[in-house]
Amino acid sequence: MEINQSSRLTDKNRTHPFILSELDSQPQPSAQYPAFAPKEAEQIIIEIKNLSLHYGKFKALGDISMSIPQNKITAIIGPSGCGKSTLLRSLNRMNDLTPKVHIQGQILLDKVDILGANVDVVEVRRRVGMVFQRPNPFPKSIYENVAYGPRLYGIRKRLDLDNLVEYSLSQAALWDEVKDKLHQSGMALSGGQQQRLCIARALAVQPEVILMDEPASALDPVATLRIEELMHTLKKSYTIVIVTHNMQQAARVSDFTAFMMIDNPATRTGVLVEYDKTIKIFTNPENKQTEDYVTGRFG
Amino acid sequence: MITNQASANSLPLIRPEINYSRRKLANKLMLSFTGLLTLAALAPLVWIIGFVAIKGSQTITWAFFTQLPRPLGMAGGGVLNAIEGTLILTIIAAFFAIPPGILAAIYVADHPNTPLGASVRFSTDVLSGVPSIIVGLFGYALVVKTQGHYSALAGGLALAIIMFPIIVRTTEEMIKLTPRNLREGSLALGAPEWKTYLSVILPAAIKGIITGILLAVARASGETAPLLFTALGNERYEIGQIISSGIRSRQGVWSIFNRIIEQPVDSLPLTLFKYSQQPYPERVNQAWAAALVLIGIILALNIIARLWVNYSSSNLKGK
Repeated sequence: MEINQSSRLTDKNRTHPFILSELDSQPQPSAQYPAFAPKEAEQIIIEIKNLSLHYGKFKALGDISMSIPQNKITAIIGPSGCGKSTLLRSLNRMNDLTPKVHIQGQILLDKVDILGANVDVVEVRRRVGMVFQRPNPFPKSIYENVAYGPRLYGIRKRLDLDNLVEYSLSQAALWDEVKDKLHQSGMALSGGQQQRLCIARALAVQPEVILMDEPASALDPVATLRIEELMHTLKKSYTIVIVTHNMQQAARVSDFTAFMMIDNPATRTGVLVEYDKTIKIFTNPENKQTEDYVTGRFG
Repeated sequence: MITNQASANSLPLIRPEINYSRRKLANKLMLSFTGLLTLAALAPLVWIIGFVAIKGSQTITWAFFTQLPRPLGMAGGGVLNAIEGTLILTIIAAFFAIPPGILAAIYVADHPNTPLGASVRFSTDVLSGVPSIIVGLFGYALVVKTQGHYSALAGGLALAIIMFPIIVRTTEEMIKLTPRNLREGSLALGAPEWKTYLSVILPAAIKGIITGILLAVARASGETAPLLFTALGNERYEIGQIISSGIRSRQGVWSIFNRIIEQPVDSLPLTLFKYSQQPYPERVNQAWAAALVLIGIILALNIIARLWVNYSSSNLKGK
């Protein structure tokens, strides 16, 4: 979806044919930072309820509530240090690895709170995969990189692994490029190929949600475009949540966009300012701060 | 930013050509000075190796590697007992030092700021500074006194104490050098920590860890003091002899193995130390030859370690 920002953002009163009329009938936000619930048409896969996160005494996330619809791409944008990555890493409990983190609130994955005490973290991470900012293939062969996850879950038969590797690499649009060198090191690939290998590796354990933490920020424009195209294909089968610094990227790839910011310079707590359809965020945002940010007038 | 009223015309002109020859001369002087000092630093190494090579090569024959020492005053004979003893001692030391060293390093790298992690790191630092003669006395009190006799086992344990801190520190550094996101990539797939270390982090760091182990082995195989009270020395030690006599008298593998590690053994540094104090010129010459063999082994280990590092760093980049 292409958005010509400059012309559409300058004239707020213009009516846009592609802005659905339902926008007008949306309920007005009641709280200071509203929890946006996508329309009933969307199936919700992850529901974040009043999530707050502390690093020691520092409150990094303040009272965030948002619902992530299934088979859509949800982008989280905002200035550096506003807690985007922290929020993303909460969704598969990667923050467990950081010392002194304390989380309050709920994150419901299919109605089950993944922050609960007796939740199996391994199962959460299998269902919610992750792709990182810098490509991080293991120092193993391409085949072994992809087979690593399935092996963890007890898949041992050569034929099953072969099938999974081929399927995952095809899904990640990498199969044709690597099918003749599956047993070469994954680290010998180019940056963009490495990132697609990491996506294939995440897909191999058959997740439902894929978290992407600035997946293209270390890549050149051509590789970035391939990743974005890939995301479009992947959303037919998976739900994608992407953190990005690149607003054009968020506008290009996402269906929904969440804008986060720090509440004030003293406390530096990240809050969710606005969350809505991407078109609305980039053309007709409710909040002044959102508008300033997406038009590049600040930060 | 210039805030006063200075105009561009009143600024002094910067003229690079002034003092050019003086600066060039100073540069040349300093460069030759550093080069000279580098040579001075290298000189002892070349001197030692050259001296030992000249002195030692006169005595080195094939028999020197394959025969046991002859009785005092007789020419000929070799240091097979010491070469085999060095090998056995090093294997025993590696067996006791490497697995706990790597496990401790994983813990320290993973929990640097916990009380246990900090104290393990502190105590390995202290341990690496303990004089090696004290390590030998400790081995004597711990193993020799309880067993009632000197043995290769006691010597190997003493050497293991020397190796342990080296292995912990190098392995810890290597683990810390593996990219953090490699670890996260594995954990994000749902892998438990032990699996992540076993199949991602240790393989990524393995070349560096092996280098550290080789350096620790080189260090331990050159130690004398810890062996004085533990391995003692044994001029009749010959593994081939022990094994073949064991097979002839139909002993089990375990009892042959026991006879190998339960006896006092010699090592190259120990032989060098003892021979050089004796009034027999053949023995003194053999001490030089033993020194040459020892230096050769340690040099070879160091060179292998370096080559391995170069090879592995190019390998990790996938080029």
